[in-house]
Amino acid sequence: MTVPGTPSAPPATPELSVVAPLFNESQNVRPLVEWIVQALESERRPYEIILVDDGSRDDTWAQVAQAAAADQRVRGLRLGRNVGQTAAMMAGFDHARGQVVVSLDGDLQNDPRDIPALIAKLDEGYDLVCGWRQQRKDKLLLRKIPSWVANRLIRRLTGVPITDNGCSLKAYRRTLLNRVSLYAEQHRFIPALSASVGARIAEMPVRHHARRFGESKYGISRTVKVLVDLLTLKMITTFRSRPLVGFITASLLPLGAALVFTILWLVALTQFGPVKSTALVFPGIAALWLATALYLFMLGLVAEVALRSEQEGARATPTAWEVG
Amino acid sequence: MTAKGVLMEPTEVPAIAAKLSGERLISVVVPVVERADDLVALHREFGSELAARGEQFEFLFVFDGGFEPSPALLALSHEASDVHLLRFAQRFGETAALRLGIERSRGEIILTLPAYLQVRPEGVGLLLDAVDGGADMAVANRSPRVDSWLNRMQSRAFHRMLGGLSEHRFHDMACGARAMPRRVAEALPLYGDMHRFIPAIALREGLQVQEVPVPQHPNDMRVRVYGPGVYFRRLLDIATFFFLAKFTEKPLRFFGLVGSTFLGVGGVLSLVLLVERLGGTPIANRPLLLLGVLLIALGVQLIGLGLVGEIIVHLRAPHRRAYRVRERI
Repeated sequence: MTVPGTPSAPPATPELSVVAPLFNESQNVRPLVEWIVQALESERRPYEIILVDDGSRDDTWAQVAQAAAADQRVRGLRLGRNVGQTAAMMAGFDHARGQVVVSLDGDLQNDPRDIPALIAKLDEGYDLVCGWRQQRKDKLLLRKIPSWVANRLIRRLTGVPITDNGCSLKAYRRTLLNRVSLYAEQHRFIPALSASVGARIAEMPVRHHARRFGESKYGISRTVKVLVDLLTLKMITTFRSRPLVGFITASLLPLGAALVFTILWLVALTQFGPVKSTALVFPGIAALWLATALYLFMLGLVAEVALRSEQEGARATPTAWEVG
Repeated sequence: MTAKGVLMEPTEVPAIAAKLSGERLISVVVPVVERADDLVALHREFGSELAARGEQFEFLFVFDGGFEPSPALLALSHEASDVHLLRFAQRFGETAALRLGIERSRGEIILTLPAYLQVRPEGVGLLLDAVDGGADMAVANRSPRVDSWLNRMQSRAFHRMLGGLSEHRFHDMACGARAMPRRVAEALPLYGDMHRFIPAIALREGLQVQEVPVPQHPNDMRVRVYGPGVYFRRLLDIATFFFLAKFTEKPLRFFGLVGSTFLGVGGVLSLVLLVERLGGTPIANRPLLLLGVLLIALGVQLIGLGLVGEIIVHLRAPHRRAYRVRERI
């Protein structure tokens, strides 16, 4: 996919892009850039820092502009309105020119000093290296416990053995980013979505700091949303290429229920005689379950139609490598 | 121009607004769909105002099915090369009329005007100034507004309901006078009955919308009385807009919420009955049993529907971006 308006190449095309979404992080911009530059001092490849201002209402953009004016490697991207972390990260990815892309939070909670290690790990032959905040410096009740539960659920449901899905500090290979399109609030499902297209994933411990400036933009209300999103994720990663199978599997349960009630009805008919009111309720319930099963089957067909009409989705082959 | 859905293609917005060149063309798009005053007078009043500003302009009148250009207007279009008349064979509504007008226009700036004198001609200059000042879209806010208290209350309720959806609250979305650069007009997802929400849609697309106070035309100062059908349709419009704004990317959040509520209530009902049955009370003659099972079935179906929605959204994801770049350095 090409993004119109991608800028013409400057003197040295960066091979490494560091993307940081910012939302009302005015005080954090300057230290963030300094930290990244320091951390990448020994990096020989040319790199760029992409700061994405996600519709901030403070003077984040002015700070970004200043940083960009001071350092050629810093590029700024200002979004029309606040679209959330996932879309802001996507904006950065779309404009990143490097073959290796690193994402991190703009709030200084991730430590840019971990970037070289992440890249080194990536070079060992991975497509995605996830940071793992072993010693997380956040509020226990509001952040750590919900996150622990969510991570366990994600791991169980997707089978991707990543301990910390929520850490923004990650390193990606460009080829992977070209295959995964993130939308809505999917950034915490990056490992699972990447695994579903066949990416090789590694995880490594990274440092984590308490927030210095500004406020956290998360609340506990997202837990319910994460649960719903998980259902979607499971559906998409498992049945993306064959939704009908998923819906048929789901319809087995109502089908079974319909069967049970049919048997009950027959038993009631033969054992108690036709006057018994169960003779009416049981077939009614059985018919209802049967209708539900049928409905789910039809929905599966609709999903297939949607899939076929979208050639890209129907033709997507998983990523593969030549071995040996 | 194609209607693409609420989310937009990743188009680039140039940092600097179109410069005043003196040679630019302004396309005035006038959808004639409901009430129409003397369009020749409208052309005269607004045309002379634009001419006084030294602008080049063209007028596109789009007649919805059932509306005919008056003989005077036809005559005008024959003698003036800057007046174009377009006509739908059937009724397609204001949104389609706007779209056609934008498609057929050639100007760098699109100025939409209602088919009756709603704002004073001077207001047009204010709108154009706002666009020259860098706004992606300038929308008129008739002020001071001379209106009956009834109309004002209605309008306030309407805007308050919509205001809850976005960070910004508009004051006069019903005003049809808007100015925008061509790229914005072409990028707007205009479909259905969404013309009423154009400022709100533009804002959701990440465009910079500016509300400009514009003097109201004396002809517009009168009491409007609507039938109940109009209110009902307006409410439906708001509900649609709300749904599209909140759940286009995440249909399961909506269907899942409703579905799991049904599922939960149905489950509790069935459980209560099960406990009663185990206690020895026969439940087969209880209507509650059917209700419980029905709710469970309905819940399952709604969640299934939401999942299909999610699959469709997922399949479209590679082609869409939720963000719009405003500036780049």
